[in-house]
Amino acid sequence: MILWLTLLFPLASAILLLAFRNARAAARTALVAGAAEVVLLGSCAWKLHVYGVLAQGRYLRADGLTLFFLINLGLIFTVVLVYSTGYLRHVPGGRFSSPRWYYALLFLFLFTLLAAYLSSNLGVLWIAIEATTLASALLVGFYNTEGAVEAGWKYLIMCTVGIAFALFGTIALYLAAVRAGVPTSAALDWTVLMAASPGLNAAGALLKLAFVFVIVGYGTKIGFVPMHSWLPDAHADAPAPISAMLSAVLLNCAMYALLRMEAITSHAIGTGFSHALLLAFGGLSLIAAVFLMIVQRDLKRLLAYSSIEHMGIVALGVGIGGPLGLSGALLHAFNHSLAKTLLFFTTGKVRDTFGTLRIDRIRGMASVLPYTSAILIVGGVALAGLPPFGLFISEFTILISAFAGSHYVLAVLMLVAFSIGFGALFFHLQRMLSGEPHASRGGIKILASEAGAMCVCGVCLLVLGLYIPPAFTSMLHNAMAVLQ
Amino acid sequence: MGLVEFAAAKTLASSAVFLFITVLLMAAAKRTNRCIKLFAIQCAVITAQIAALAFMRHSAEAFAVAALVFLVKVIAIPYALLRISRQLKVTPAVVVSTTPVQSVFIVAGLMLLAFAVVQPYARAFALDSEMLAAATAIILTGGFLMISRKKALMQVIGLLVLENGIFLAALTTTFGMPFVIEMGIFFDLLVCVLLLGIFVFRIRETFEHVDVSRLRRLKG
Repeated sequence: MILWLTLLFPLASAILLLAFRNARAAARTALVAGAAEVVLLGSCAWKLHVYGVLAQGRYLRADGLTLFFLINLGLIFTVVLVYSTGYLRHVPGGRFSSPRWYYALLFLFLFTLLAAYLSSNLGVLWIAIEATTLASALLVGFYNTEGAVEAGWKYLIMCTVGIAFALFGTIALYLAAVRAGVPTSAALDWTVLMAASPGLNAAGALLKLAFVFVIVGYGTKIGFVPMHSWLPDAHADAPAPISAMLSAVLLNCAMYALLRMEAITSHAIGTGFSHALLLAFGGLSLIAAVFLMIVQRDLKRLLAYSSIEHMGIVALGVGIGGPLGLSGALLHAFNHSLAKTLLFFTTGKVRDTFGTLRIDRIRGMASVLPYTSAILIVGGVALAGLPPFGLFISEFTILISAFAGSHYVLAVLMLVAFSIGFGALFFHLQRMLSGEPHASRGGIKILASEAGAMCVCGVCLLVLGLYIPPAFTSMLHNAMAVLQ
Repeated sequence: MGLVEFAAAKTLASSAVFLFITVLLMAAAKRTNRCIKLFAIQCAVITAQIAALAFMRHSAEAFAVAALVFLVKVIAIPYALLRISRQLKVTPAVVVSTTPVQSVFIVAGLMLLAFAVVQPYARAFALDSEMLAAATAIILTGGFLMISRKKALMQVIGLLVLENGIFLAALTTTFGMPFVIEMGIFFDLLVCVLLLGIFVFRIRETFEHVDVSRLRRLKG
């Protein structure tokens, strides 16, 4: 019951929100609905904590891995919603670009993400992941400018084609399962497939084919190089809170889908094949992204490439495997989402003040926007993987696992890439922070809602860097136990 | 053998050929509207095929899928696309980067490729190799249409053709996915076409053209 309620409540809220033409009323209703959804998610998490696994009907199921990603989603969605209420003061005109559409689409986006996390069936999972693209496309194109329309178009076309490959992979897996004697009605059920995976060994070639299509398909949504080209455009031209949602939640959601598929593949035919592919895509994304970060001229595009970099690191962690690699990867996905949300929130302020996000046109930010600059530096330090923030711990864990697994070349490659990424990030940041401002601009005050949202992200990052609570550790272990 | 059984068997035996013909005609088509109509015909062939399969296997679910394909892909989507194309009021030519002759040769090459790649799988799983090849060829042609046609609407058609190929692959290999999943996929597809329609209009409003190859602001 609780699963259905948690899933359908955002959908109902989205429909309800469309009735509010007044911007203030829409924002207030969205906050109330968001609070209610957080309560639902909390009780869902509590029940999961007590019972371990929740299942409802044939299509809904939640386990330890779901819980981990649900907490991530709930946290980021809450801060994004709170930040949005302050951010959405000046909206462009036009159809689908009003506050009520913004909030309605945001809740619809939440609904599709929840559907992906709570589905027990790989077919439903695919439908939900495709629906995330559909729900967020209009949000990406929200500003209706040339760039936003182009980014929205590219996002919709590229992700739909990419995801079509994942459908092909899912069909191939289904074929393998049906041929191995799994009844057709259950042949897409994840738990059934996990239980039957040793028997799928005979159809090894088909499973490999399936996994190649799935990694290309879901990899398009994760932003793996070379299928990444939609990602910087969509992140750069979406409103700041939506960029945060894309980078922090959507990429993780696609990664979650890939993790589920990977678990079945590696159980059936051994970890060799899937891990090699993950290492290849992860390594390529990491290397390409850090070099592309150097030449960026737009702050949000810089952050978008950094998302590709970090998703590459997560893929490397999963690909190295073992308890250490996997725990590092999951922790990294969590930490990255917090750091990236924090940074995208600051870009909203920068654009409000300077009217642009072009790095070469922003000078003297430290004197115009002292608080925002401080947050930008904190976020930058966290993102670069320096202590005392969470990303240091997770990157370090993945590095240790690389050394422990005797992947020396990979470990050295990662260290080099980390330093290039760090250099690129701070090269651009110091250019914006230092110098004299072009004109005497008044800094825009940070609203209480924005400050609160950023504080939550910062504090969580700091806590995960200094002392990981035992409850979090046990949650992480439960998540890993599902996959192993 | 009754007349209906005979018709069903003939439909199954000949649908691959019809699918190949639609694919070749699409490659040769010079106008967007013709491509949309060809897409509708392609979907009609697939509908007939599902209906024939449903009849042979006495499956009520498959009849429902056939009805759904007919409503969504033969009627609703082509109708919507034709409407969009009429309202856009741009030149009807598809604007290609290859001539029709070249396109036909490229698509014919893709068909041969499709036949070559599916042979081992068809043998290993005892599947109908012609249908599997047709599915693969349709997927490849959809991709080719998306790359070589410059109009926004033609990219949508390319995407739909590609999706048709995947649907056909599922049909030939596993006799379709479970019904609920099929429904979800159809729903996604319909919403996707709707959204793409919205974006086509936005591209026209903001850029005053619908040539996607001229969308080049975002790079690097």
